[in-house]
Amino acid sequence: MNLTLFIPELTLTVFAILVILLDLFVRQKRVLAQVSISGLVIAGVITIAMWGNSFPAIFNNMLAVDNFALFFKLIFLAVAFLVILASVDYTSRFARFQGEYYALVLLSTLGMMLMAGAADLITLYISLELTSISLYALVGFLKDGKSTEASLKYLLLGAISSAVLLYGMALIFGFTGKTQLGEIAMVIQTMPAQTLLASPALILGMVLLIAGFGFKIAAVPFQMWVPDVYEGAPTPITAYLSVASKAAGFAIILRVFFSAFGQPEWLSLNWGMIFAVLAAIGMTLGNIMAIPQTNIKRLLGYSSIAQAGYLLIGLAAMGFSAGADTAGRSGILFFLASYVFTNMGVFIAIIAISTKLNSDQIEDYAGMGKRTPLVALALTLGLISLIGMPPAAGFMAKFYIFSAAVQHNLLWLVIIAVINSVISAYYYLRVVKVMWLGKPASEEKISQSGTLKLALVLASLGILLLGILPGYVMRLAEFAANMRLY
Amino acid sequence: MIANYGYIGLFLIAVVLFTLLMVTIPIALRLLGLVPDKPNPIKNAVFECGMETIGKTWVQFNFHYYFYALVFLILDVLVIFLYPWAVSLRVLGVSGFIAVLVLITIVLVGYLYAWKKKVLEWK
Repeated sequence: MNLTLFIPELTLTVFAILVILLDLFVRQKRVLAQVSISGLVIAGVITIAMWGNSFPAIFNNMLAVDNFALFFKLIFLAVAFLVILASVDYTSRFARFQGEYYALVLLSTLGMMLMAGAADLITLYISLELTSISLYALVGFLKDGKSTEASLKYLLLGAISSAVLLYGMALIFGFTGKTQLGEIAMVIQTMPAQTLLASPALILGMVLLIAGFGFKIAAVPFQMWVPDVYEGAPTPITAYLSVASKAAGFAIILRVFFSAFGQPEWLSLNWGMIFAVLAAIGMTLGNIMAIPQTNIKRLLGYSSIAQAGYLLIGLAAMGFSAGADTAGRSGILFFLASYVFTNMGVFIAIIAISTKLNSDQIEDYAGMGKRTPLVALALTLGLISLIGMPPAAGFMAKFYIFSAAVQHNLLWLVIIAVINSVISAYYYLRVVKVMWLGKPASEEKISQSGTLKLALVLASLGILLLGILPGYVMRLAEFAANMRLY
Repeated sequence: MIANYGYIGLFLIAVVLFTLLMVTIPIALRLLGLVPDKPNPIKNAVFECGMETIGKTWVQFNFHYYFYALVFLILDVLVIFLYPWAVSLRVLGVSGFIAVLVLITIVLVGYLYAWKKKVLEWK
């Protein structure tokens, strides 16, 4: 047992418990946010220190500690950091339950970190449940009608998707007799193709796994919960859901499908095709449904469905040549890194505006360019990045993923994606137009607190950095994309 | 592969036929006059096991029951973990002892939380 490789997770656990305990005895609740942030920073520093080395898996090969896992852990820690910075003001809405809020954010981050490293179906399921159960509670934190409805919907649909996922895992376990991903891969590769084809269990299990993971990443036939939950949840939690939860879903899909089902080639071609079709439907549906939305959180909900579609292109590219592909995998990692800053920037700007206006309607954003120019500028930058226009990070992210798809003969998918990007420009730019050209309801300036400004500046800098100097992060992503196989 | 599905199909057909048969047998026997028709109030009453209820069954319980149940459930789970550990304490050694200590600490924090949040007070 090598506990030293487990220190980032242990740190986070200790700090989550510390927050719960402090909440019971401390009257000044701002301390809780500071403690949570220091926990995240310490865990982040340790994770960075571990970067670059090649470690063996720990706990009987159940938890991988490769660069792939470390890359995702850093993403989750960064998102949780920004979320907590952004919710320091927001938590005044539920003054009684601040300790629980911060502790649950930390615990779900812990769950996601374990998800990124999970190299065994059982570890994977438990870490997924740790993440989900914390999130079910967080979504219902506002305790009003909409928030409770969102929480209940998320809980029920999440439970069903967990059941589907478990069923898929059971079929794969029944077929191979193993739960460890590397061992599953060994069993599949040593079996003759005839045996694999004789039984539909493996294909059925894979399809059920895709359905279960598809719920997490909001891929299209499993996206029904997204708009309602995004609208009802507290805005920082919406941001957290849309970025970290999605990234965690992609982390496990990448690891499971790359290391367990990556070979033989006809198998990876099969699931590559599934992902390609899901990507095409997801982008189109998400973008078209976003056009008539009037609530900005719902609009971003549909936009996140569309973004999941773009990300799935990377998975399809990986499936079409799992052996030789690195562009698809590193493209997904880069896209997720840029998506973290982009979506967090957009949501933090929305928190800054909406908490003051007490409204999420797009028409109420009229004249924000005059009332709070810096926030409006950051929101514009984030939306431009979501469209995928230079100089923002979203452009480079889309460029890498699309070029990976073209390399693997998926030109038709890229054409659909480019058409969709043009469609998406319409509704993103509509928000920009309302903000800068709309007539404001009042001339009163809107001011923000220091922490919120700090979070916004960090996110905007991230967008610009990844957009103008993508090379460095891209090298990190390429380095991380080479998962260790166990 | 199709042959495998064929077996399932056979089962499906058997299930449907069997169900239909079981439903139609009593009706057919009644129509043929083989079964006498003598209804009385006790025969027609809804079958229920146990005592007949007095008054409404849609009573609301105090929410605190659920708190107590949850708090007790955690203790239950803890005990399930402690028994196998206690039996093989010698084999597991110091590291096993520390692991269980950590588990108990985490559960204790939960109890402390419940206590401070007045879950254990009956109002």
